[in-house]
Amino acid sequence: MTARVQRLITAAGLLAAVGVWAQGPPPPGPPRSPKAAAPVDLTGYWVSVIAEDWRWRMVTPLKGDSASVPVTPEGRKLLEAWDPAKDEAAGVQCKAYGAAGLMRLPGRLHITWQDDTTLKVETDAGTQTRLFRFGGTPPPAEKPSWQGYSVANWERPPVTPGAPPTLPIFATRIGTRGRSLEVTTTHLRPGYLRKNGVPYGDKVSLTEYFDYYKEPNGDEWFTVTTIVRDPQYLNGPFITSSDFKKEPDGSKWRPTPCAAR
Amino acid sequence: MGTLTNRLVPALAVAGAFALRASASQGPPPPAAARGAELNVLPVQGAVSMLAGAGANITLQIGKDGVLLVDTPPAALVPQVLAEIRRLSDRPIRYLVNTSLDAEHIGGNAALVGPAAGRGTGGAPFGTIGPNRPAIVAHENVLNRLSASQPPTPAAALPTTTYFQASMDFFFNGEPVVVLHAPRAHTDGDSIVWFRRSDVLSVGDLVRLDRYPDIDLARGGSVDGLIAALDRIIEITVPERLQDGGTRVIVGHGRLCNEADIVEYRDMVAIIRDRVADLVKKGQTLEQVKTAKPSRDYDTRYGSGDAMTEAVYRSLTEKRGTT
Amino acid sequence: MARSGVRLPVRLAEYVAAGLQTGFILAALVLGCPAPAAAQVDFSGQWAPVYHEDNAERIPGPELGDYTGLPLNDAARLQADSWDADRISVVSPYQCRPHSADYGMRGLGNLRVWADLDEKQQLVAFHTYMPAWGSERTIWMDGRPHPPDYAEYTFQGFSTGVWEGNMLTITTTHLKTDYYRRNGVPASDKRTLVEHWTRHADFLTVVTVVTDPVFLTEPLVRSQNWFNDVGQALPAFNCEYASELPGAQKVPNHLPGTNPYLTEFADWYGLELAAARGGAETMYPEYRLKMGAPHSKPPDRCKRYCTCGGGFNCDVNPARR
Repeated sequence: MTARVQRLITAAGLLAAVGVWAQGPPPPGPPRSPKAAAPVDLTGYWVSVIAEDWRWRMVTPLKGDSASVPVTPEGRKLLEAWDPAKDEAAGVQCKAYGAAGLMRLPGRLHITWQDDTTLKVETDAGTQTRLFRFGGTPPPAEKPSWQGYSVANWERPPVTPGAPPTLPIFATRIGTRGRSLEVTTTHLRPGYLRKNGVPYGDKVSLTEYFDYYKEPNGDEWFTVTTIVRDPQYLNGPFITSSDFKKEPDGSKWRPTPCAAR
Repeated sequence: MGTLTNRLVPALAVAGAFALRASASQGPPPPAAARGAELNVLPVQGAVSMLAGAGANITLQIGKDGVLLVDTPPAALVPQVLAEIRRLSDRPIRYLVNTSLDAEHIGGNAALVGPAAGRGTGGAPFGTIGPNRPAIVAHENVLNRLSASQPPTPAAALPTTTYFQASMDFFFNGEPVVVLHAPRAHTDGDSIVWFRRSDVLSVGDLVRLDRYPDIDLARGGSVDGLIAALDRIIEITVPERLQDGGTRVIVGHGRLCNEADIVEYRDMVAIIRDRVADLVKKGQTLEQVKTAKPSRDYDTRYGSGDAMTEAVYRSLTEKRGTT
Repeated sequence: MARSGVRLPVRLAEYVAAGLQTGFILAALVLGCPAPAAAQVDFSGQWAPVYHEDNAERIPGPELGDYTGLPLNDAARLQADSWDADRISVVSPYQCRPHSADYGMRGLGNLRVWADLDEKQQLVAFHTYMPAWGSERTIWMDGRPHPPDYAEYTFQGFSTGVWEGNMLTITTTHLKTDYYRRNGVPASDKRTLVEHWTRHADFLTVVTVVTDPVFLTEPLVRSQNWFNDVGQALPAFNCEYASELPGAQKVPNHLPGTNPYLTEFADWYGLELAAARGGAETMYPEYRLKMGAPHSKPPDRCKRYCTCGGGFNCDVNPARR
């Protein structure tokens, strides 16, 4: 065999190998709905288990107590001026039940699929309803509300933000199957991060990650990591994580109205 | 054809290797299956290992000079224990050191020295290490109590080398072996065996992690002596880094320990002692003290505290002569 | 002619073999590094802890008698009630006792994580380092079993991890006795720790689930957060023992029923005393229905650790008494 032929054969082998690799997996079928594509099941009744921040969540904290929250001086002024009687008179008892603080309140959640693209989260504390809409963006005329407008997706594999496209020579991508639910919420009315008036304003945005896990004893849980960004009242992202345990049914569901105290 | 063979065979070999690689299990091969026997040897440090599973833990020191055991198994397990030792060394057993006179720590003495060997019976003379006769080392109080026991202890099981002062020592397998007396602790004949170069202590039932310590008042034990013994162990041990590692402690029952474990154990004994002492000071009877359950926050870890409470109570009141 | 007729099939076979050989070798190079296990995530990096929950407890330290949010049993409560902070000074080994793996992930947690890969780029282990007491931990990812129960226990224990999608679930056994809170609430050596690590962009969430048959009536589930801090550099930690408090009680402890400090916490923060004593019942929403009155008249406003924010700007109001 001549050297030329050897080189041709080597080149053909190389092209064949790259061709096999470049094909990748077989092409996907028609896209599945978010409900059908859900990697985990978050539906059901869930109870908050308060093992952290107990005295800021199970009871209304003392006035002026903003421990752990990175409030700005402007935020500090507002929380020092908190007056639940004024909130009651103004009919804004639900300020502490807005999306940015809701998941920290003791209570139960009832999560269901409203339709194939909307996950509904109801709370018995304050009888609130959040809708996690998969895909799309908030309508232009969306009015601020206690729960705002939430856009959800099953979390995609991580990519460096703003990075240029790359050719993965001898590399693959990690995080090929995320199990987390990512929810971004905007259009929130000003509210409270805690029941004692630690404020968030109308420039707030909320990012949440819901992570499901099951323990060896059979208990099912999810933890929601909540990142609140408010350039007015917080001097950085405020990050908490709240843990919920699944219950077999709604027998302990106990709706209670919003309370300012 | 030679050229074809030269090209085809390697190609098939590469293809075969690739196929095997694709189906091979990930990660390293699983470790060797655990031995079917209940006995397990855990290398500890230096020349010292721990043999677990024969009831009480047995300490092994193995080297060119031979084999040393701290405590011996029940007689029925001696053949199995010997088999484990023979996996590690074919050198003769030279020393058996007994940390106390508890049956579960001396049960194999006679079998390990040979049933025919005895003191002054034509075998190796008393106190001499003959070629086939290990020396049995223990505190003098162990010999005294075993000699007087009813039913009588077989002669072959009796200690042949005893000490009555604070300690004795000898050099074996490249390191000093120091045998320290722990007076009036679990019993009045307890010994702590310290392998100085290996940096290992063998402490017998001065520490047991499976239940409360046995303060054997009938055989000279006391709570204050036990605390003092634990203090001594803490004094000798040196952790390597921030309370982990360093001097290892082989306890009578339970996992391999180090200083931090002994500190927790000592604290438990001291706190229960303080509580009982306070109730004694208030004039409470034994039954009243037991009802108060002074060990109740440790019972979930060590089991019923009644025997411990009674032993501590009697130890404190007998000391005061108020029994 | 006859000779070429014989050679042509051989030559063809040679070409095919050469192509196969080259193709297989190149495919092995490109594809032979096995695809990573599904949804692996790289946790390597420098992680700075976020203290936006329980800041005052985790940084300055918990108040005596604060057992809120812990599913304790009576044994744990009594041990915590008996604990005297002098013990850390008098019992010198406690001066350098590190946080265990579970408390380390809860308490002081600047963290560095790095991965060990073998020559086939397979993940063998993650390692973690926290400068708080120089705690180093190995999380074995190669499927090895845990040691037998008679093996040594350490403060970091023995950890193995498995992937569940994008979540790393870690099981740790062989943990030494330690604490759930730095005011004497004990953690036994019979406990096991399960963690769930997830990375979302530059945030790390670690859920810790501790099961302790000696001191807890149900698993203790808590979750902590870090953010990726590329500028973080972690120092070494040095500790030396020193003799302190000569002549003190051998093991400082409060006799049962004599600790005078156990009601302070409830009084400072206007809480019911039973709630301050903890227990699983107090962790569920329905407890609020039966929660009693505060132990004493609550202050009209916060007077203690009111402004602990994202950093170390906690201040205790000196006028608290």
